[in-house]
Amino acid sequence: MSTSTDESTALRFYGGRAASAIPIAFFILWAIVQSGLLGIGDTSGLIVGILVGLIVGMFFVRGSWKTYADILFDGMTQRVAATAIVAWLWAGMFAETIQVGGFVDGLVWAAEALRVGAALFPAITFILAALLATGIGTGYGTAIAFTALVFPAGVAIGANPVLLFGAILSGAVFGDNLAPVSDTTIVSAVTQDADIGGVVASRFKYAIVAAVFAFAAYLLAGQAMQGTPIAAASTGGEGTALGLVHLASIGVVIVTAVRGRHIVEAISWGIVLSVVLNLLLGLSEASAIVAFEASRESALVQSMDAIPIVGALIVPVDPGGATVSGSLYTGAVGFFPLIVLVLLIVAAAQLMQRGGGFDAIQEFLLERVATTVRRAETTMVLGTAIVNAMITINTAAEIAIAPYIKTIGRRFNINGYRRANILDANTAALGYIFPWGGGLLAGYSAMQRLPDQYEWFTQAMVVNPASVFPFVFHGWFLVAVFLLAAWTGYGREYVSDRASEEVSRV
Amino acid sequence: MSRLDKFLAGLRLRSSTPSFEVGDEVPVFVTGRSDDGLLVRVGDTVLELPDADPSLLDAKVRIEIESFDESTHRGTARVVEVLQNEG
Repeated sequence: MSTSTDESTALRFYGGRAASAIPIAFFILWAIVQSGLLGIGDTSGLIVGILVGLIVGMFFVRGSWKTYADILFDGMTQRVAATAIVAWLWAGMFAETIQVGGFVDGLVWAAEALRVGAALFPAITFILAALLATGIGTGYGTAIAFTALVFPAGVAIGANPVLLFGAILSGAVFGDNLAPVSDTTIVSAVTQDADIGGVVASRFKYAIVAAVFAFAAYLLAGQAMQGTPIAAASTGGEGTALGLVHLASIGVVIVTAVRGRHIVEAISWGIVLSVVLNLLLGLSEASAIVAFEASRESALVQSMDAIPIVGALIVPVDPGGATVSGSLYTGAVGFFPLIVLVLLIVAAAQLMQRGGGFDAIQEFLLERVATTVRRAETTMVLGTAIVNAMITINTAAEIAIAPYIKTIGRRFNINGYRRANILDANTAALGYIFPWGGGLLAGYSAMQRLPDQYEWFTQAMVVNPASVFPFVFHGWFLVAVFLLAAWTGYGREYVSDRASEEVSRV
Repeated sequence: MSRLDKFLAGLRLRSSTPSFEVGDEVPVFVTGRSDDGLLVRVGDTVLELPDADPSLLDAKVRIEIESFDESTHRGTARVVEVLQNEG
């Protein structure tokens, strides 16, 4: 924790340490009014919210405002933000490229061939999203890929859009929580002085219980909420089944990630294979992947258009309509607003850390709330929830709250595995529940492009981020399992219970 | 610990007031202090370390249980070994 004691760099506020939370608190209020009350799911609008919050917070600074500005820069250059940004950009390009290759048509064909109806579709989607997220270790990537690919297929056969989006986010929660290669899993283990293998093994007893209930809930809700299939969608047949070859592209990503390669490398191989398959099998034109839409009146454009291979990427258009397009372009560009938002949020979180806001929360919790082991564990669950509501990028939220979980847990000799599990499960869950959460907005960003891609996909089918939170069943059940576990002692282990593992760990 | 044991560890309802036998040696964090010396809280069980060095607050130590009362969930212990002392 980087609470500076040096007077020259100390950040102090009128109104005390709690005032360091003003930028984030302002942002949350803005998000609730914008998304929750007014129903505007515009990520760029949230950027204005955090910007205004950062300006308002500055007026409460005692002493030099330069310190405030410097910490803002420190916050924006943190690695956690870069990690989320990379995951979004790469997953966006990958999902979009598979999409232009007809994967969604393939899924619709498969759902019809296997007789997976609208009622069963959300439950199956939850399982598949959970498997992908556990394999590749990024819930954000999974939310993007599944919203771009599986979501339209499900809506086409009549599944309820809100329920289906909830099922996708639930799968992302499951993977972020359990995957050994997930950022949040690694942060939870490292910050609580526990080994990653032991943490993952000790995590199943909570995750499986929640997943069983979530699966059942999607089966029941799927029955109750199914709509009517959309006639304009794929009608099946050989042509549409071919898009399923992209299961190989997804398989490459999973296998590469599971073998321990970096997610950038894993998804890059997936992109390469999907481009090759699209071109070799004629699933899409080269210009659907990357196209330079340049003025047809230019002589250079005309001559380049005539060159073999290179010409495939040149699309002459009317003057004034020049742009770059294609799946790689739209896949990445769709996340630009979210990227700016995350940079500003982690900066605001850094201000709150350096301003002592988090320390104030910890002291209050330790002295007033966490007076017994049950109350301490409940506090750890709720404290994680609060911080995730404020810092909406789950890895960043986890890093911010981790030292406090460690302090509160050690006060009762709760062992590292248990602490890591409480920290990670609730971070994974709540990052996809709050309507302004990074995972939810990542999926939503992918969804906003669907009306442009499918004629039958109307704006009414785009799910408002504020309406999906009740349907992220796995997230809710996971939080419930931990609240129940805090009360009953299910899964609780003390430092004295598992001596050798922790002591032997360096 | 075998791989299966790692999955099954903690798969039970653990008491908020764990019990100890006299003579048990266990690793713990020293969690607080009282008028009589340092304290170790394990859940809601409290173990006193009357003779321990005050600088061991927040350190990880191995202790030997010297007395334990099941009804009050309190006991006394002595430090056998300092495992980790960051402070």
